[in-house]
Amino acid sequence: MPAEIAGRTAVVGVGVSRFGTFADESPLRLATEAFKAALADAGLAKDAVDGLALNIGWPLGVDYDRFAEALGLDVRFAYQAWTHGRFVGPTLQHAAMAVHAGLARCIACVCGVSFTQQRGLLGGPGDYEGTREEGGTHEENPVYGMTAPAAGAALSCQRYFALYGATSAQLAAVPIAFRKHALLNPQAIMREPLTLEAHQRSRYIIEPLHLYDCCVISDGAAVVLVTTAERARDGARPPVLIAGMQGMRAGREEFLFAPPGLGIHQQRTSRHRPTPDDLPVYRMAGVSQRDVDALYTYDAFSPLVLFVLERFGFCGPGEAAAWIQGGRIELGGELPMNTSGGLLSEAHVSGWNSLVELVRQLRGECGPRQIPDARVAQWATCWGDSIIFRR
Amino acid sequence: MSAYQKPLPRITPDNRPFWEGARRHELRLPRCRDCKRFWWPPGPVCPDCLAEHYEWTRVSGRGTISSWVVFHQLYFPSFAVDIPYAVVQVELEEGPRLISNLVGVKNQEIRIGMPVEVVFEDVTAEVTIPRFRPAG
Repeated sequence: MPAEIAGRTAVVGVGVSRFGTFADESPLRLATEAFKAALADAGLAKDAVDGLALNIGWPLGVDYDRFAEALGLDVRFAYQAWTHGRFVGPTLQHAAMAVHAGLARCIACVCGVSFTQQRGLLGGPGDYEGTREEGGTHEENPVYGMTAPAAGAALSCQRYFALYGATSAQLAAVPIAFRKHALLNPQAIMREPLTLEAHQRSRYIIEPLHLYDCCVISDGAAVVLVTTAERARDGARPPVLIAGMQGMRAGREEFLFAPPGLGIHQQRTSRHRPTPDDLPVYRMAGVSQRDVDALYTYDAFSPLVLFVLERFGFCGPGEAAAWIQGGRIELGGELPMNTSGGLLSEAHVSGWNSLVELVRQLRGECGPRQIPDARVAQWATCWGDSIIFRR
Repeated sequence: MSAYQKPLPRITPDNRPFWEGARRHELRLPRCRDCKRFWWPPGPVCPDCLAEHYEWTRVSGRGTISSWVVFHQLYFPSFAVDIPYAVVQVELEEGPRLISNLVGVKNQEIRIGMPVEVVFEDVTAEVTIPRFRPAG
């Protein structure tokens, strides 16, 4: 029996700010741009918004309290997740659960970030979080010079390459695919074609990750408006229904930037294949992997794309590097991913830009990069959370 | 002798015995007295059986490299002279894995499965840092 919340909530509006490097713009200003764009998209006045779900807050982004007072909102449900991109899915899930439970009528999921003004947080002496007891969440350990989220992705990638014989040249298919998508997106920051040669020639950031395996560092904002499916029927745009979801995983078998079983941090080493209990999102949405017209993921580093494909059973353990070859994750391929260019090429709005793209694809608004007749789109991450949307 | 410039460990109630052991050139990890398992990172109970009876037990200091990375980008000014430097994940014989550095190995010689053993570097009067070198 499907969960009672399945198909009962919807996205009714999306909006983004400009994406780029804006030394004179605060996250609050960028978030305001995106919020007004989302209201216009939904045909709603600001008084219709009585809830806020925030991710990413201070010091990278704007917090819920400042946003509510700055925009003159009267908020009845406020939620803010830890300042990490892993909480994109959980934040949207909280919004859906809250409107379904009647705690608010319409919740704005808000992300406004200025990464370029806070580069010091992304590694080195300014990353205070990396000094957490026995390591940061990407295995940071400053004593040994281990720092920056890229380090965690590199640690997993190296072991993955060694275990499965995968190569950096295979991995390059990820940033090359997303760059092709960005070339069809006027909003994207990275607008030069990317070749395999350029990828392989680019400098290492943290080996085995090359420069083009790492996301853009940018400023920008995105807003997603969530309400009940019933209210969404009266909206200005066709509602995009939240058909299924599953939460983020945690525990000793988990390392944020690795699929289960890879053997990073304290994970057991095994060839993990997901069971139906690992993937309740499909059961709740009443679809399978084969029904997914497009997949969106948090692509801060290109190995994360391999890991999410394996975690969600699109291919077997160790198979993703080969599976993505031949344009499979490109527009026109079997499973287009991150069709706006993602964090690797559009902008780093912490994944929220990819959710905006997902909604626009299901509404058929994506012009030259539109997936024909897209009906089912999935958000999923290599740390296990997912949301399936349908029009 | 110039003062040690690199980051020092942030010693907390949970990890203090580890660093006190390192000062005596002993690698110590928490081990459950009930189920005999070692675990890492430290915490107040055994994550398997939630027993509070555990003891910081000396381990062999031997293990293998289970992954590694090489930093080309400079993040810590104090590591500038070491660029490009490797950081390794060592899987100890007792099971838990530690993040560390290697001494006495060129970056291009590092391999998964390479046997290593702990060495201790006294970096200040109060702090000793465990690192690893190729074993036998």
